[in-house]
Amino acid sequence: MTVATTAEKPAVAWPGDWLFLAAACGAALLLAALVWLDGQPASAALIGLGFALGIAFFRAEFSFTAAWRRFLVRGEAGGLMGAFLLIAVAALAIVPVAALVPGFGGAIAPLGPSLLIGSFVFGIGMQLANGCGSGTLYTAGSGSGRMLIALAFFVVGSVIGSLHLPAFLALGGADPIVASQYLGPWGGLAATLASLAIAAAIVGAMARRRGANVLPSRTIVIGAVAIGLLSIAVFVAGRHPWSVTFGFTMWGAKIASALGFDLSSQPFWQWPGPKRALTDSVLTDTSSLTDFGMIFGAMAAAAALRPFARADWPPLKSLAAAALGGLLMGWGARLGFGCNIGAFVGGVASGSLHGWVWFASALAGCTVGIRLRPWFGLSRE
Amino acid sequence: MRLVYALVFVLGLAAIVFDHLASPSTGRAMSPEDFSGACAPCGAPCPSTQSR
Repeated sequence: MTVATTAEKPAVAWPGDWLFLAAACGAALLLAALVWLDGQPASAALIGLGFALGIAFFRAEFSFTAAWRRFLVRGEAGGLMGAFLLIAVAALAIVPVAALVPGFGGAIAPLGPSLLIGSFVFGIGMQLANGCGSGTLYTAGSGSGRMLIALAFFVVGSVIGSLHLPAFLALGGADPIVASQYLGPWGGLAATLASLAIAAAIVGAMARRRGANVLPSRTIVIGAVAIGLLSIAVFVAGRHPWSVTFGFTMWGAKIASALGFDLSSQPFWQWPGPKRALTDSVLTDTSSLTDFGMIFGAMAAAAALRPFARADWPPLKSLAAAALGGLLMGWGARLGFGCNIGAFVGGVASGSLHGWVWFASALAGCTVGIRLRPWFGLSRE
Repeated sequence: MRLVYALVFVLGLAAIVFDHLASPSTGRAMSPEDFSGACAPCGAPCPSTQSR
C-alpha cells in the first residue's frame, strides 16, 4: 500500500503577520519614494540602511543596556566586547575618511559639565527604560508597547533638554579633542584602535577577576560586524557618523510647534542646524531618516516571525519606569550630545575623546539606574 | 496593544508625509553638525566661540 506522506504531515502555518509586515515595508518604500522624488537618492539610502539596521538589531538582539547591566552586575564582558568590536569596524572608515575627504566629518563634541551630567543621567534612564536610543527604536518598532511609551517620553525629554542645553554649555568646557587632529588620519586611527584594545583589556581583566565570561557570543560578533559595516554605509550616505537622538528632539519640537508652543525663539532652536531642522521637512534630517527606517525594519523583522504586538501590556510600575527612563534619556541625550550610538559609537569611532568620557559617565549612571530598577518591579539583572 | 500600534503607525506615518509635503525639502539631507560653527551632532557651538 502506498502512503501519501505529504498528506499526513500537518500543514505548518506561517507564524508571521502579513498586515504589519506589509505596512512596515510599504511605509519604508513610501518614505524612500518621497525623498527619491526630491532627487535625494542618499536620503533613500539612509532609510534603507536604517531598515537594515532595524533587522540587524532585532535578529542579533544587540543590546547596549543589557550588556552594560550584565557587566556591572555579573561581570560578564561579552556584550561590551561586542560594542568595542562594532566601534572598531566603524572606526576603520570613519577616522581616516572624516580627516581626509572634504565634506565628511566625525562625531565630535565639547568636553565639560554638560557632557558629564547628560551622559550620567542618560545612563540612569537607559536602565529604567531597559533600552538606549537604538534599543528604544528597535524594540518599539518590533512590537513592545512598553518601549513605545519610552520612545514617547524620550521625545518629550529631549525637547526639554534642548531648552536647558545652552545654560549648561554656559557653565564652560573645552573644545573637542580629536585624535586625528593631533596624530593625522592614520595615527588617529591607530590611537582609536589602541584605545579600544586598552578598554577591552581592562574590561576583560575585570570579568576574569569576577570569574565571568569575557568573550562575546557568535551572535553578538556577527551582529557587531554587521552593524559596524552598516554604520560605515550610513556614514558614507550621510557624510557624518550615524546618530539617533537629534531626530527625537526635532520630532518633539515640531509636535510642540503644531500644538502652539513656539520654540523658535529659544537659544537652541536659533543655532543654524536646529533652526533649519525645525522649518524644513523631517525627511531632510539624516538622523530622522535612519530612525524611521530602523523602526520599520524592526517592525518588518518582528512581523515576519510572529503575530505582531499581541502581548499584554506590562504592569503599571514597569510602564512608569519606561516613561521615567525615556524622559531621563531624552534630557540626558541632549545635554550629553547623543546616546550610545551618536556619542559613544560615533564619538569613539571618530577618535573623539568625548566618546570615552560619555561611556565612563553613562556607565556610572547605569549603576544608579540598576539600583532603582527594583523600585519599579524590574530585576537588577 | 495591537490596536494602539495600528493607530500610532497610521497617525505617525500621516504626520511624516504631511510634514514633508508642507515643508521645504530641497537639497540633500543634513545634520545640524553640517553647519559652520557647529561643535556637536546637535549643532551646539564650541566653548571657545561661546566665550568670545
